[in-house]
Amino acid sequence: MAGVWVFGENRELTLELLGIGRILAAEMGTTLSAFLVGDREQAKGYISRGADEILFLPPLQEGQSLDACIPVIAGEAAKADPDILLFAASMRGRDLAARIAAKLDTGLCGGCVAIRFDKASKTFEAERLAYGGAAVQKVAFTKRPAMAAIPPRTFEPAKEESGREGQVRELPAAPPSTARVVEKKAKERKTTNLPDARVVVCAGRGFDKKEDLALVTQLADALGGEVGCTRPISEELHWLPEELCIGLSGISVKPELYIGLGVSGQIQHMTGIRGAKVVVAVNKDENAPIFGAADLGIVGNLYEVGPKLIEELKKTP
Amino acid sequence: MATIIACFKWVVDEAYIRRGSSGELDFSAVDYKISDYDRNAIEEAVRLKDAVGGNVIALTVGLPEATKGVKDALSRGTDQCYFIADPSFKDLEPAQTAKVLADVIRNRVGPFDLILCGEGSSDLYAQQVGPRLAENLGIPCFSFVQKVSLEGGKIIAERRVEEGVEIVETQLPALATVLPDINIPRIPGVKDTLMASKKPVVTVKKEDLSRVPDATLRTVGLAAVRMDRTCEKFGVDAAEIRRFVDGLRKRGVLK
Repeated sequence: MAGVWVFGENRELTLELLGIGRILAAEMGTTLSAFLVGDREQAKGYISRGADEILFLPPLQEGQSLDACIPVIAGEAAKADPDILLFAASMRGRDLAARIAAKLDTGLCGGCVAIRFDKASKTFEAERLAYGGAAVQKVAFTKRPAMAAIPPRTFEPAKEESGREGQVRELPAAPPSTARVVEKKAKERKTTNLPDARVVVCAGRGFDKKEDLALVTQLADALGGEVGCTRPISEELHWLPEELCIGLSGISVKPELYIGLGVSGQIQHMTGIRGAKVVVAVNKDENAPIFGAADLGIVGNLYEVGPKLIEELKKTP
Repeated sequence: MATIIACFKWVVDEAYIRRGSSGELDFSAVDYKISDYDRNAIEEAVRLKDAVGGNVIALTVGLPEATKGVKDALSRGTDQCYFIADPSFKDLEPAQTAKVLADVIRNRVGPFDLILCGEGSSDLYAQQVGPRLAENLGIPCFSFVQKVSLEGGKIIAERRVEEGVEIVETQLPALATVLPDINIPRIPGVKDTLMASKKPVVTVKKEDLSRVPDATLRTVGLAAVRMDRTCEKFGVDAAEIRRFVDGLRKRGVLK
């Protein structure tokens, strides 16, 4: 047996994996299988977007979480021997991938941003970021199956094709795990267009207090942009929600213009703005690392520079 | 009373890595540190011990030079350290690290209630050692935990998931990987450092392991990422701000 298997915990994530999965399967001349948990209705959509086979896992029992599927997925992989398993690296996905890799005693490329199949050697080579994004690490796999956990939005979602056919194969229900979910708290999602924003204004540690972030919003409004922040602002100070956190452990943005206000430029953050066309830094410390990775920089106090900038932007050229 | 194992990795401080002239990574000026999130794991282990009693065992695998890290871990309130050291343990990949740790926990450390790891290391950030270790030991695992408590032989954890937060529980022994916002790690004082030198360290050598596991991943390339930006600097007076905004306009990024 062979094949490319993909697992994403929801539809959006699965479609991205079907995109890259289809490319790999075509190069390898093999089939593409997608896991689907609980909602059988999705099967058709996955098949029309590239899956040849749906590995259907029955809905989880009350109080069980996705972890319960680990033995079933690992057991199925051990039996069917796929060439490669791709996981969408949501938090659950990363956890699942690592535990399944341990069960299968095989290698897993976490945070995988590129993957290739070499036809001559019939092996995979994957790329990931290391040292906070300062380096690209290339890895090869020494065991079967190869595994990779791919961050959301790394690859384009698969497009619908007409006339595609595929099968649904039902896997055994997951035996109840000793780990139980006792409560779920949905986060208040602040709707944000940050990932696709044309302009991003980012708040960094240079701000003294939460109220002062109004300046970031005002500048973003003046530019028709969205607000983002560095990890300390969301994770340590809790001044902004975590979905606005830009960087290796948060989201990546690809705006035409990025303006960092009081952002020092730690590598983990800069990794998340690598795709920006123009990077602007405002920081009072002229030795801040961000100036080494910016196109334009203003050395000055953001409390002074911010209002002046807004004022200047309002003037028509 | 609980026996808690806090795993940590002694890593290169990535802030000191430079890009060499031909794109290679320049490690010549680097310093080392306990991996950032592992400091949170150690801190949380010590806090749990303070809450329920017991002891905290720090555990690491790495180069023999990591003794500084061992002392650092002991100065952060842990009671003893198992230090698995060998010159060949420089670039263990996650599968190997997790197997070595499981081997030593099973055969040397003995019974435990909870293992805490950071969510990922600050050098490679593969985010695998915790979950793999749990599987190797056959115990439940909660990853990306932001709050944890021990009650009546159970662990209750708040873990971050895509839709929000899940509160999960299971019987001990178990493993959890912690997020950086679970606590603010202490900064050891002079007294802590002095006390650390008196705490027991068990050094485990390569020969003491059941076997040295084979690698499942091979690093075939490591290159510095280019960040090609030529920073043009501006001042803060009105003329400079105007010149700056003109600069943005010329680049076509203003509407």
